[in-house]
Amino acid sequence: MTEQENGNPRRTFLIQVAKAAGAGSLAAVVANETVAAPAPSIEQPSASPAPYESLSPDEASFVEALVNVMCPADEHSPNGVDCGLATYIDRQLAGPYGKGAGRYQRGPFRSGKPELGLQLPLTPEEFCKAGIAAADAACVEGRGKAFAALTPAEADAFIKTTILEDHVKSDGISLAQWFNEVVYPLFVEACFADPMYGGNRNAVFWRMIGYPGLPATHTLDMTRYRGKPYPGAKNPKSIADFT
Amino acid sequence: MPKKLPKRSVVIVGGGLCAALISRELTAKNIDVLVLERGGDHINGAEAKLPSQRDELRWAVHQGLMQNWQRETYTLRHSRADESLPVRWMEAFLPGNGVGGAASHWNGQTWRWAEYDMTLRTRYESRYGKAAIPTDMPLQDWGTTYNELEPYHDLFEKLFGLSGKAGNIKGVIQPGGNPFEAPRRDEYPQKPLEITEAGIMFKEAAQGLGFHPFPQPAANSSGNYTNPDGQKLGQCQYCGHCERFICEAHAKATPDELLYPMLRTRRSFEIRTHAHVLHVDYDRHAKRAIGVRYLDLNSGQEYEQPAGIVILAGFTMTNTRLLLLGGIGEPYDAMTRRGVVGKNFCYQTTSGVNMFFKDRWINPFLAAGSTGTLIDEFNNDNFDHSGLSFLGGASITSSVTNGRPIRRHSTPPGTPRWGTAWKKATAAWYAHSFSVGAQGSCYPHRENFLDLDPDYTDAYGLPLLRMTFDFRENEVRMSDWVTRKVGEICKAMSPDLIGAIKGYSGAFDTRDYQTSHITGGTIMGAEPHTSVVSPHLQHWDAENLFVVGASVYPHNSGYNPTGPLAALALRLGNDVLRYIERPRQL
Repeated sequence: MTEQENGNPRRTFLIQVAKAAGAGSLAAVVANETVAAPAPSIEQPSASPAPYESLSPDEASFVEALVNVMCPADEHSPNGVDCGLATYIDRQLAGPYGKGAGRYQRGPFRSGKPELGLQLPLTPEEFCKAGIAAADAACVEGRGKAFAALTPAEADAFIKTTILEDHVKSDGISLAQWFNEVVYPLFVEACFADPMYGGNRNAVFWRMIGYPGLPATHTLDMTRYRGKPYPGAKNPKSIADFT
Repeated sequence: MPKKLPKRSVVIVGGGLCAALISRELTAKNIDVLVLERGGDHINGAEAKLPSQRDELRWAVHQGLMQNWQRETYTLRHSRADESLPVRWMEAFLPGNGVGGAASHWNGQTWRWAEYDMTLRTRYESRYGKAAIPTDMPLQDWGTTYNELEPYHDLFEKLFGLSGKAGNIKGVIQPGGNPFEAPRRDEYPQKPLEITEAGIMFKEAAQGLGFHPFPQPAANSSGNYTNPDGQKLGQCQYCGHCERFICEAHAKATPDELLYPMLRTRRSFEIRTHAHVLHVDYDRHAKRAIGVRYLDLNSGQEYEQPAGIVILAGFTMTNTRLLLLGGIGEPYDAMTRRGVVGKNFCYQTTSGVNMFFKDRWINPFLAAGSTGTLIDEFNNDNFDHSGLSFLGGASITSSVTNGRPIRRHSTPPGTPRWGTAWKKATAAWYAHSFSVGAQGSCYPHRENFLDLDPDYTDAYGLPLLRMTFDFRENEVRMSDWVTRKVGEICKAMSPDLIGAIKGYSGAFDTRDYQTSHITGGTIMGAEPHTSVVSPHLQHWDAENLFVVGASVYPHNSGYNPTGPLAALALRLGNDVLRYIERPRQL
């Protein structure tokens, strides 16, 4: 019996996947070459970085220093900036998330228990920037220099103590809340979201943990690779590889 | 000024699973049905196509398919002594938006509840005595029985092509299934999904302890399937993008896959999308619903839609809110315990234990929404509560449903949150860890309820619904006890490392996803003074108004709520037909 292409959902799906995989294979090869190249050094930032859309130069210095402390260059990945983490954060702040899309923003505004979530009138972008300014001011005050000028060890200690222990409440901003509810989630997303959002460059974090990405059509894999290493995990594919 | 539209026979609020099942019954008899849905269609959107479907950030983290909290959220206080605040971004539970409702983005885990669930009060009283149920726990029987719902469960499971293994066919316990399952007339329509590596490990450990593990009954299709209506499902791709996603492989049974396309070919059926219902108009003297008012979100025009029969089939919260806004029925007052609307608001009590195995490949990305392996020994009243200080329990599952890395990259206790050590741990354990979870019951408490918030309004100027809710002593004790059982099973698997073994503690936290299974607010029952709707889901104060959904559940169990909800909706379809034949209190 002949099956109509549009009459059988599974078959239509497999054709879609085949098309997507075909279109993606070239891009995947290119991506692999890029990641195989040595990690760019600090002096030579990655080729023609896109300009920041939201962050000012000072804010960008702070965020770049932060992501390089949270993600130092090591055997697992290049440093945070070279992984695109600052780019990701900047684009998120400039985009719908930063503008408060989907967030209830009506008053009256009151502070409350943490379990009820952030209650600020600020958008996430505004709150993120207010926190950067407050953290940097606290850094200058306590350590005599801007956050970006700290050594990695000093910066790490500054996050763990001054920020997370919430010693500074500048302009009413809780730095611990700022870090835990805005900065840290953005950092994690920057590492693990699809590379098309600017972070996780060349799917470096997916490769690090062994997440294969797309197309994720695993019907046969379910039994074939149950309890065994999955070969595709070495060469993860992004949405961009199929577009 | 609202524009008045011609009267329709049946108007259903909310284009989700319930509306589709009711419409299937009514339009089969050529009854005129209009469904009003606030969202649009997902079927041809980026959410339903490759490669954009596989986007954790867009659909899961940024909640691309969910209720827009900017327009409408809920407020919360943990007790009447607190001031309520709006949840400005909800993570705890996720109402859908668009045709199919929350049943578009569900995981597909489908249960029949325990045979005694609909008569739970009677069950506890007869087993442990009347004093066993605390006075602040208003458990009540549902006014219906499992046996009355069984034929509708059977129909729903065939319509949705469930994959599973029966545990109890007509009273005969079946090996490999859930021995605590309520008796069913038939095997599941399809064989179970493939088991995961985690499932194999869980199964072995649970069997070693004398328990009876079984595969999660699933609406993720294990094969190609054609349902009794001739609608088709493809085979599950185990892509790990079920909950919070639309299945582009047409392999997850949903109303927008199996019901709405068929309904749209029926002449007596109409669905209006982007139609946000603001109000149910009610004649309190005649004790009748007159119709609804809705806003056409495309044009901004408000319409008055008269109806012979109104059926509320929105999300749990929506049904309660519309009754409160419409002034229909007596609102519940926690002080006096009088009134019913908003009463018995329940959630679920969840916990889990993480495990790490350096030599086992868990590969969490090889999974579907319902690829769990479970035991039911410690759920509800499946075990003896004599001498225990709580009622209720939990289903326990090896819950590998996906390996989406933003939200799923667990590290052993003590791992730093960033830096090289963090990267090393995520790299080491991502493919080698999983958790065993407990989905626990949450019984009603007199201080857990819904009402209208005095301060906060939605984008249309109407009061938000306010939750007064927290996990009370009974649930905290239950969770502690059940989580120890989870710990015993986990230890039997001999993990290299294990996370904290700790039940739900602390206040209800809106920042963490738990389950979307909230229930109550418009509860059903045999008595008008203790319930909003009758055992036939007919409003006690308006015979042409019906309410359906998990909002009618008088308590919440340690099961996903979709099964009984679908059975109730299919039965309601038949009840409405009977009502149309001869209008009366059914």
